[in-house]
Amino acid sequence: MKRKWSPIKAVMVGIIGIVFLAGMVGCATTQGGGTASVSSIKTPTIKLVDVQLAHYWGWWYFSKKVKPTKGKAGNYGAPMDLAFVFEITNPNPFPIQLDGFKFTVAFEEFDVNTINAFETMWIPAGKTNQLAVHGMFDARTSLLSLLVTGGFKLKAKKMNVWQQLEKWWTGITTFSFPITVKEGAATFHAGDKTIVASFGGKFPQ
Amino acid sequence: MKAREILLKLGIILLVMGLVASFPGAAVAKTIRVGGIMDMTGATSDVGKDYALGMAEAFNYFNEKGGINGKKIKYTYFDYGYRIPEALTKYTLLKRLRCVAIEGWGTGDTEALSPTVTKDKIPYVSASYSAHLTDPKKTPYNLFFSSDYSTNARACLTAWYDKIWKPKNLKRKPRFACCYMFASPYCSAAIKAIKDQAKLLGFEIGPDQDVSLFALDTKSQILALKKFKPDVVWHGNTVMSVAATLRDAYSLGLGASWIIDNWGFNEYLPKLAGKAAEGAIGATPCAFFGQKSDMMDVVVASAKKYNPSLPLEKRTICTIQAWCDALILWEAMKRADKAGDLTGEGILKKGFETFRNFHIGLGASDVTYTTTDHRPAPGCMVQQYKNGKFVRLEYVNLKKRWPQKWEKEWLGW
Repeated sequence: MKRKWSPIKAVMVGIIGIVFLAGMVGCATTQGGGTASVSSIKTPTIKLVDVQLAHYWGWWYFSKKVKPTKGKAGNYGAPMDLAFVFEITNPNPFPIQLDGFKFTVAFEEFDVNTINAFETMWIPAGKTNQLAVHGMFDARTSLLSLLVTGGFKLKAKKMNVWQQLEKWWTGITTFSFPITVKEGAATFHAGDKTIVASFGGKFPQ
Repeated sequence: MKAREILLKLGIILLVMGLVASFPGAAVAKTIRVGGIMDMTGATSDVGKDYALGMAEAFNYFNEKGGINGKKIKYTYFDYGYRIPEALTKYTLLKRLRCVAIEGWGTGDTEALSPTVTKDKIPYVSASYSAHLTDPKKTPYNLFFSSDYSTNARACLTAWYDKIWKPKNLKRKPRFACCYMFASPYCSAAIKAIKDQAKLLGFEIGPDQDVSLFALDTKSQILALKKFKPDVVWHGNTVMSVAATLRDAYSLGLGASWIIDNWGFNEYLPKLAGKAAEGAIGATPCAFFGQKSDMMDVVVASAKKYNPSLPLEKRTICTIQAWCDALILWEAMKRADKAGDLTGEGILKKGFETFRNFHIGLGASDVTYTTTDHRPAPGCMVQQYKNGKFVRLEYVNLKKRWPQKWEKEWLGW
């Protein structure tokens, strides 16, 4: 049976459709890069406020010569999850979008990880957001990284790579050695403008 | 048709359009996602970190220039620590994020992923230049800008033969040996080809030496080489272990020339190896960082802009290699988009495979990909580190010099 619609109902349906379309197109535009038309962006400030030992399994290393109880043999080192907590302050009178956040982590003077976060976030005008970026470290990968990027430095100092790793993996519970965040770069957008803020920091301070 | 029916249909059409637009995917349809699988912490991080930074800078620059014909590129990359299982999981994630193409890294993971990217039709542009990835019959979705490792190796040995050996006019066969990490797919990728080239040029071939990517002490390998007395040795590792080997060879007086694959021959080699780097010869598929070439000003400006706290002295040819791999993908995506087919298959067939001597700049060879041959370049620029500078030794064009072998024998290995 054919259902009849009154002109009023038809017009209402049309209006709802137009409202939906206009609203969603607006949303799509804002997701693309900001609502405001801005002449310039002041550089946001980024401060390392804390480093937290988010997850920890102690210190151990198994070489591939060791037969595992389950699974495959391999070179496995203890993992360690560190959370780097930053405060990001927007000094502008309009919101800005964070779109890219990257930094290198050094234990003492050795670079051991480079971490990036690609999720976007909006920071309201004049406000400070907190961002925790997790970095996974494992003794096997850190061993390789240490050897290929810091090997000669270790050799010159007559330092043993295993002692160095053990010192870090056991000392992390009390943060007994300095952790440095360096070469930090964060990309922000507002309107059609983009700005990159550099940052760094030490923990414990 | 009555007015009320017209109004009703118009209303339903607008409502449907509104609902379609309300889906998040549709709302951000103008963003194209490209993935990245990089090594910033693992066994090749001595060269991988700079490559990863350069790659991200390149995609930022592309967005400054309008992305893909006005569509923004969202470049999403992960560190996989040179662990193949992790590369496989990151690939799955990037596929789930609907990446139309991926910038990858190592030979082991790129070769392991090759059947999957072929099945999924996702172009995979890697920093692995393994010749195993150049035959489109086997690996159609694997691409890169550089001359492949086998071409690099053949070119280095040929340049050494032409420029160093022949002028000596000695009446014996030159002696040749290889140093590389046997277990590494990258390090061993070019060994069969370079030994074939050595036979072609009439060399005597000595025993291979296993040098780990993490080696700091290679004295036992150098002592073994001394028994064979090589005139020239190929090194297929990355820069740190290459430097360690050159240092030991220098201190133990091996007296051979060194020819090195591109990942072992960068600005850090003289810094790490000191005097032992003098005279070293290597494959250079593009310009060194800051070396005069078109587009270099853009690369340097982007490095300053997007990584302002990283000193330019720390940047290397690896940044340039990343840009070259990014530039070919950008061009392929733009061509596919113009053809109305910005899909994985479109990027391959209406993008890459339409390149005929495409000029990248940055000192790279112009590149061509056909439906039957994905070797980007017919030869390689070979440079030498001499008196504190990298200088051109010879551009070896293998295709011109051995056209039959290039066409009929050398594809894919």
